Amino acid sequence: MNEQTQRWGLLAVAIVIPIILVSSWASAAGRRLKESSSAAKDVAIASVSDDSYCTPQLKAIIRRVAGACGLIEGGGGGRGCQPMEAQKVAALSGDDFNALFKPLTRRAHIIQFDSSKTELDPEAATTIEKAWSDQRGASFFFVVSRASTDGAADFNEALSRDRAKGVLTHLQGKFKDEDLKNQVGLLWLGEQYAQLGDEFCTWNRSRTTACTAMEINRSAFVAWIDCAI
Amino acid sequence: MQPPDESQPLDDDLDQRPYGATATRGPLIVTVVGSVLGGIFAALSTSDFMQHLDRQVHAIHCSFIPGAGKELGESGCKAVMMSPYSSFFRESVWGGVPVSLWALATFAFLAYRAGLLLWRGKPSRAETTFLLAATALPMLMTVIYGFLSVAKVGETCKICVGIYLSSVLVFVGALIAHQKNTAPAEVSPSQGKFALWFGEGVGFVAVLTVTYLIATPTADLKTSLTGCGTLVSGDDPNAVMLPLPSGQGEPAIEVLDPLCPACKAFDERLAASSLRNRLELKAVLFPLDPTCNWMVTEALHPGACAVSEAMLCAGGLSNGPKDEKAAHDILKWAFKNQEKLRELAAKDEGALRSKLENTFPKVKGCLGGNQVKAKLTKSLRWAVANGIPVLTPQLFVGNSRMCDEDSDLGLEFTLSKMLSKQGRTARAQLKPPPKPAAAPVPSIAAVPKPAAAKPLAEPEPKNPDEEEVEP
Repeated sequence: MNEQTQRWGLLAVAIVIPIILVSSWASAAGRRLKESSSAAKDVAIASVSDDSYCTPQLKAIIRRVAGACGLIEGGGGGRGCQPMEAQKVAALSGDDFNALFKPLTRRAHIIQFDSSKTELDPEAATTIEKAWSDQRGASFFFVVSRASTDGAADFNEALSRDRAKGVLTHLQGKFKDEDLKNQVGLLWLGEQYAQLGDEFCTWNRSRTTACTAMEINRSAFVAWIDCAI
Repeated sequence: MQPPDESQPLDDDLDQRPYGATATRGPLIVTVVGSVLGGIFAALSTSDFMQHLDRQVHAIHCSFIPGAGKELGESGCKAVMMSPYSSFFRESVWGGVPVSLWALATFAFLAYRAGLLLWRGKPSRAETTFLLAATALPMLMTVIYGFLSVAKVGETCKICVGIYLSSVLVFVGALIAHQKNTAPAEVSPSQGKFALWFGEGVGFVAVLTVTYLIATPTADLKTSLTGCGTLVSGDDPNAVMLPLPSGQGEPAIEVLDPLCPACKAFDERLAASSLRNRLELKAVLFPLDPTCNWMVTEALHPGACAVSEAMLCAGGLSNGPKDEKAAHDILKWAFKNQEKLRELAAKDEGALRSKLENTFPKVKGCLGGNQVKAKLTKSLRWAVANGIPVLTPQLFVGNSRMCDEDSDLGLEFTLSKMLSKQGRTARAQLKPPPKPAAAPVPSIAAVPKPAAAKPLAEPEPKNPDEEEVEP
């Protein structure tokens, strides 16, 4: 074999092998790219939370209550419902209405007030702030205020309303959050509807003192609702 | 001018003198073996690089044994491959032209040259001189890339080390072959011969580069210009965005998790790219940690919520100007210590929070507080409001989302396309998607209004599209 043949033979082997390799790798990548482009990409999209306790029935009821109470994004939410209106929209007995909130044991806080008072004590303020800052993926913050059966019904209804408004006012002052008006729903229930039983004394309360059925109803129940309705 | 003919010896009596044949044989074998070994390592590296041209994630080789140690996770080889030093012309070609391709071409050429001299068995001084000079190129690149690997990337790549060792082997072989070559020095070695051999070397590199450019899959121009989707709104009504070091160019948003390795790698790639200076970059924190993020069920990056809170605290919770440096210092620290911080948080998140407070005293009194928790929730809800995918990192140029598959090797190519005049025009024509569907709230018209109580605000006007609900 002469020198020219040696040279060209070696040169051909040295250059052709890399060319074949590079071409085949590129071709394989191109083929896979084509296949992957046509395959559907399944990526979760950021969304509000929808917890497992949000059964269709619960959602339907919350939807009714939320709609009637003005919890509409972009609307003038936080305006509250009256006792009778909430009862009619929910179309539920008081016990059934309370049962709606039972899955929220860990999320909810009960803000307690002194008899005939609407002022928040420091513990109540702290509890409200803690509850609000734990929004996570929830869309609506419910404030369901009550009054005990002590005293006149009209007085208790006004008391209940002022307690709910007190919670909202505190949140507005503390967080100065534009979203408050779209996310906070107030329901003041007075004394004639959905009184809490003393089993709610075991829930997260703003006070650690002894709790009776009367005391637990001098309260505002606050909770983020993790249902995408 | 007559082209040089390599069959002609440099000296008239070359064929009559059997000089150097035995003495140079051993070193030339070393050079051939080194070239083949270097070629195999370079081919593996090129293969690993090129398999990523399908825009997917693949396992890559990372072992001193050629072909062994293919792994999917993080490795020095992956870090080096994803670094901006692994390829050239990244703004013109998707992924760029891998430097390992040129290493492959060089080793193939050296194998050819050394093999030819070995086969012929009687190298001239000029031939061994050229071989020595040619092997100096991979030696020089070994020094440069060894430095870049240690000083800039901070990782070493076993495949690259294989290439470096092969480079040393071929250089040493060529050096000894040249020293042991007893052939007489040519009185006037032909310049044409050197030019021919040099031309052959350039030819190897050019042919492989052209083959690569012709054969590699081309990028989809539309997605390169406009990305994959747009934001509903790039506005920041709740002041959750933190400014990041960048230039004063196109507004851009990086959705990131401070304890996400991919975010760290992405940030490094972006920092190494000159294109970062053409962006006015802000971060939206999106920790993939269920402690605060309801969209993930597994603690992918434990402690990410705590670090995110610390960044928000350091940046300032008010809606006014943010303390860019303070927030970025925490991000840099978190990126640097990601693994340790994740491990610490997995065992005890409280310990991580204490560590944050000790390292950055400014966050004391804010970290873990209700205000910062609410702020972090706002940051996550920014993602919800824009309906973006639950993953990190993501880059939005203007309101256009860079495709995920373009965020590593294709970063410079895609970013330069998106920032080009053509890209700006194409992006301006995109319409934002509709706002993520709000809950269908029923009409309240069916509910009788009690006369006694006074609402705090006027009821909403009825929307004819809303669902009617039985009273």
